[in-house]
Amino acid sequence: MEMKFSGQFEVSPPPAEVFALLSDPQKFAPLLPTFSSLEMKDANTALVKVSVGIGKIRGTASTQLTLQKKTEPTHATYLGTGKVMGGAYTMISSYDLEPKGSGTLVKWRGEVQLVGKILSLAGGGMQGYAEQQINAVITSLQQAMSPEGRRGAPAPADEAGWLQRLLRLLGLAPAADQPGGTPPADAAAATAKLTAGWTGTARAERGARALSPLKSAGRSKDFSAIVDRQASDKWVHAALSRKEDGRLIRGQGLFVDDYRVDGMLYMNLVRSPYAHARIVRIDTARAEALPGVVCTLTGPEIAAVCSPFMQIGPGTAQNIRDFPLAVEKAIYQGEPVVAVIAENARIAADAAQLVEVEYEALPVATDWKSALEDKAVLHPGMGTNHHWHGVYDFGDVDKAFAEAAHVVKIDQMDFHRTASTPLETHAVVATWQPTGGVDFFCNNSFPAIAIQMIAPALGLGIDQIRCKTQDIGGSFGIKIGNYPYMALAALASKKCGGRPVKWVETRNEHMLAGGHGGERTFLDTEVALDKDGTITAIRARHIDDCGAYPRYEPLGCVIWSQVLPACYKLRNIRIDFNQVVTNKGPASPNRGYSRLQHLWFMERVIDICAHALNIPGDAMRLANYVREFPYTTPNGCVYDSGDYPLMLEKAKALIGWDEWKKKQAEARAEGRWFGIGIGTTLDSGTNNFGQSRIVNPYLPFSGNSEVATIKLDLDGTVVVTLGSTPSGQGHETTTAQVVADELGIRPDMVEVRTGFDTAANSHGGHSGSYASQFAVTGLSAVHGACQKLKREMKTLAAFALEANEDDLEFTIGQQGPELRVKGTERGINYWALSAMVNINTAGQPAHFTDITLNIRHVYRPPFKIPDVDKKMGNLTLTYASQLHIAVVEVDRLTCVPKILAYAAIDDCGKVINPKIVAGQVHGAVAHGIGAALMEAHIYDRDGNLLTSTFTDYAPITAMSMPDLLYDDIETPSPFSYNGAKGMGEGGGAPLHTISAAIQDALAGEDVVIRKSINSPNDLYEALKRADRASAVKVESRIG
Amino acid sequence: MSTPDAIPPVTIELTVNGRKYCREVEPRLLLVEFLREELGLTGTHIGCDTSYCGACTVQLNGAPIKSCTLFAVQADGGEVLTVEGLEQDGELHPLQKSFSEHHGLQCGYCTPGMLMSAHALLAGNPGADRKAIKKAIAGNVCRCTGYQNILKAIEAVANDAGEGK
Ligand code: FES
Ligand code: FES
Repeated sequence: MEMKFSGQFEVSPPPAEVFALLSDPQKFAPLLPTFSSLEMKDANTALVKVSVGIGKIRGTASTQLTLQKKTEPTHATYLGTGKVMGGAYTMISSYDLEPKGSGTLVKWRGEVQLVGKILSLAGGGMQGYAEQQINAVITSLQQAMSPEGRRGAPAPADEAGWLQRLLRLLGLAPAADQPGGTPPADAAAATAKLTAGWTGTARAERGARALSPLKSAGRSKDFSAIVDRQASDKWVHAALSRKEDGRLIRGQGLFVDDYRVDGMLYMNLVRSPYAHARIVRIDTARAEALPGVVCTLTGPEIAAVCSPFMQIGPGTAQNIRDFPLAVEKAIYQGEPVVAVIAENARIAADAAQLVEVEYEALPVATDWKSALEDKAVLHPGMGTNHHWHGVYDFGDVDKAFAEAAHVVKIDQMDFHRTASTPLETHAVVATWQPTGGVDFFCNNSFPAIAIQMIAPALGLGIDQIRCKTQDIGGSFGIKIGNYPYMALAALASKKCGGRPVKWVETRNEHMLAGGHGGERTFLDTEVALDKDGTITAIRARHIDDCGAYPRYEPLGCVIWSQVLPACYKLRNIRIDFNQVVTNKGPASPNRGYSRLQHLWFMERVIDICAHALNIPGDAMRLANYVREFPYTTPNGCVYDSGDYPLMLEKAKALIGWDEWKKKQAEARAEGRWFGIGIGTTLDSGTNNFGQSRIVNPYLPFSGNSEVATIKLDLDGTVVVTLGSTPSGQGHETTTAQVVADELGIRPDMVEVRTGFDTAANSHGGHSGSYASQFAVTGLSAVHGACQKLKREMKTLAAFALEANEDDLEFTIGQQGPELRVKGTERGINYWALSAMVNINTAGQPAHFTDITLNIRHVYRPPFKIPDVDKKMGNLTLTYASQLHIAVVEVDRLTCVPKILAYAAIDDCGKVINPKIVAGQVHGAVAHGIGAALMEAHIYDRDGNLLTSTFTDYAPITAMSMPDLLYDDIETPSPFSYNGAKGMGEGGGAPLHTISAAIQDALAGEDVVIRKSINSPNDLYEALKRADRASAVKVESRIG
Repeated sequence: MSTPDAIPPVTIELTVNGRKYCREVEPRLLLVEFLREELGLTGTHIGCDTSYCGACTVQLNGAPIKSCTLFAVQADGGEVLTVEGLEQDGELHPLQKSFSEHHGLQCGYCTPGMLMSAHALLAGNPGADRKAIKKAIAGNVCRCTGYQNILKAIEAVANDAGEGK
């Protein structure tokens, strides 16, 4: 085919100057759009490499550009030839220059001839593309000839310098020259793009950012530079730096509080100062009279228009009435009682001070003991504080005890209340829609459940809720629990006539009410062992304290049983499991949710038994580890793979076990408290939601699902959307790695949408980021979607190339990503493929109508519904494992524990991105060490939280973090397509490890570590306890 | 409780990332609120209310400060540098590159504050050692990274400086 173009434009320099530029191929070629390099063949001929392609499709094409004719200073003609998309082209362009005023009028003509089947197939689109390219050349020319351009590029001292300046001016300097990339103006545009289709954008006041000339930098230029540096042909397993980083290191992420919309209002909450109090009277008159206040909301007002949130618990737990605001009484300190909505955040805060609430204090239940007495019943409808009870009984426990050589009894152990306190607090912007639905921009990390909670409460259909997340400043499970605030902001927006309402939690509010990790007490533990120290049975009573409102509970009453025997091979276990509600902040899933408490318990059992029987901690573990995989636990869970002895060996080598043992002997000789401890733990990932039926047989959930969509956009760009809500785990990067490998392209050729969006149709009922699963659920969804897309692409390509599907390969060609007939130059690029479905659809076979190049894949792991009566079944798909060793010295005078060395070995099966995995391990270790040594939520007897600020709670800083030694092993999971196991939660290994090390340090003092928190105060108390010698009893029948 | 509009606004003039601003502000407006709300510089974050976390760290006249602990009026006449001012002429600051290269950020919420603390440290002590780096970021909380890679990222830039690069 042939295309002809012509036109004219003006530039300000005189013809001689314009001619000098136009007639020199060395100067002219760089003006070509996406010019990448040039080599002069002779004075009139340049071999030019240009990055060609449309949108994100990339590739390099060589063009031979010859100056065919020049008549100084009025005329130049270029002839260009090159190969393109399995075809070839010839291009003639000529320029005639005429003086116009002091400047020049440039008249130009262009002719392009294309040969080859593909080009004619994409003919209609080619014309537009060519015009675009020509316009780009003209713009470049005009810029180069503009006064500014000429100032920036004075007469060249040498050619290279001239080129560099010109390139920089045009924003075409090669990546190596400008690794940083996106200038602020572009980044602002990128931010605008991120929010496109939404009702507002992050407000970037025009003057605030540095001005900078517009450049043609792509969206992910930083990431392209990273990918260039990595230079790999396989991307899964590569330690690639992240795509996400570009915006975050510039401070251009879009967190909820960064988001602003016109007319937006701000909500502030009045919270109960009492742990348990009847609300006698609320007076909002003075608050409402304050200028700038729009309205207030109270509990009774809300209860009249919405239903209480769905309860998961069985029986009378269904009668719990949980509303976004307290209705008749407040049942924990910090419970929201009144909402105030005003024109700005400061007015809302002022007005909240003017709300008068009269309370009548009620008796409180602040621990499991007082809760079980039922003197202060929190939820009258439930009639008791005993929220859940069930017995997990496997094997023949009584027989094992009857036959035991030793029985070790531990009276009580306590796992404390602690929380991962993400640095960004809960936040939401809610906008009630005129059509009756609501839009949320929020940071909930399990939005699929959040909308299933909110819709019935607000009386909405689920399709009436649009829920979107973007950058989330950490979650660690905690942000699963912020849906009551989303509902509240929605009601506030409704009352304000649909004006958007923003609510951002303060840190103090977060500590009081933002969600605490569950507290658990272990009573009357008895352990049966044979004569070699092999554990044969355990029985105990466990009591969980979930705070005032169960919300996600009692799921924690079953989730721990995913790791029932921990890493150990005992077959006889009976746990009487209970959960109570207390007048404390509501519990929330928190990193290691429900499993870490149980794993800590099991590790304490191991160490306490080892101590009691005088067996070293490492030998005790080796005697009891599960060793064959897949391993079916007594309750039917299947541990996919692992090698705990190997991890122990590696950890010992890493930390230098033998040297530390020597040092320990010396230190002990000097009377120092010096201990070495081991912790082995599991991070079970990809839940079978069927386990929810074990806590309540009437629940409708089972299995698991995650969704990904993948499409070729109109220009052939590969676009992926996810159902997950990453908050730092790098899903954009790992997804790009997987897609790149599947399609034989580069990760920077894959656009991965940020965040969750119900409107993107890329979510299912389990979508979100929780329970260590993305590498399995998320990436399996992505992988599945890729397979379907590839099938469609092959069908189209086979037709277009008149080839057999089996002869096609996915690769990168001159025109970017393409399918090619193996061993030939015949290929079709993504743009042309997309055109066949989107813009150039005539003349195709009838059966192509099923092809959309827009795929939605739902991954569903092969789970069965558990046996509810026996509490048995496969509850999780993968079991990542961790083994840590710590060396700790406790100061004899101050009781301050100091970590002298720390090693962590991780096994999460096949690693997708080693950098990201190591980062997750580091983070989990910091949370664990913080929780083991200092981070505790402490209540006084009246239910006042004593740790309601960061200053009191003291989250771990760089000063108290030891330097970590880290290594891994890979035991691929047989249950995931990629051999990966979900990871990230980390199983609370440092809690187990530090308890063990301190136990070892204080071994000579008869102290048994029975609490998961070991602050100096706790250790001082443990050392002073009168019963410290009698806390553990050993009954031995032999030896 | 007096109403806010009873207190007259104050006019302040300050330079932020090299640009001069003159604004009328409520005397109680915090510097962090001024930067985020008045100037739209939302890279500076808020993570606590007791000056503990450092998510709000910016530089005032070259010194790292917690902008949640200063009123905007206290910065009157001063020069403020925020994370948005680190990139110069499209060139990222070596610390920004190093944070990405060493995976010194996950959620990215603490990152701007970390960068500003580190930047202030290296301005005064370009070859800072690990101990000095730990001290410099002792007032910056990161809940995601366990600090390991943040220290590595800052150390890498300090080492480069140490080698006279
Ligand atoms: S927000 Fe300033 S120190 Fe936390
Ligand atoms: S990266 Fe999330 S708080 Fe530091």
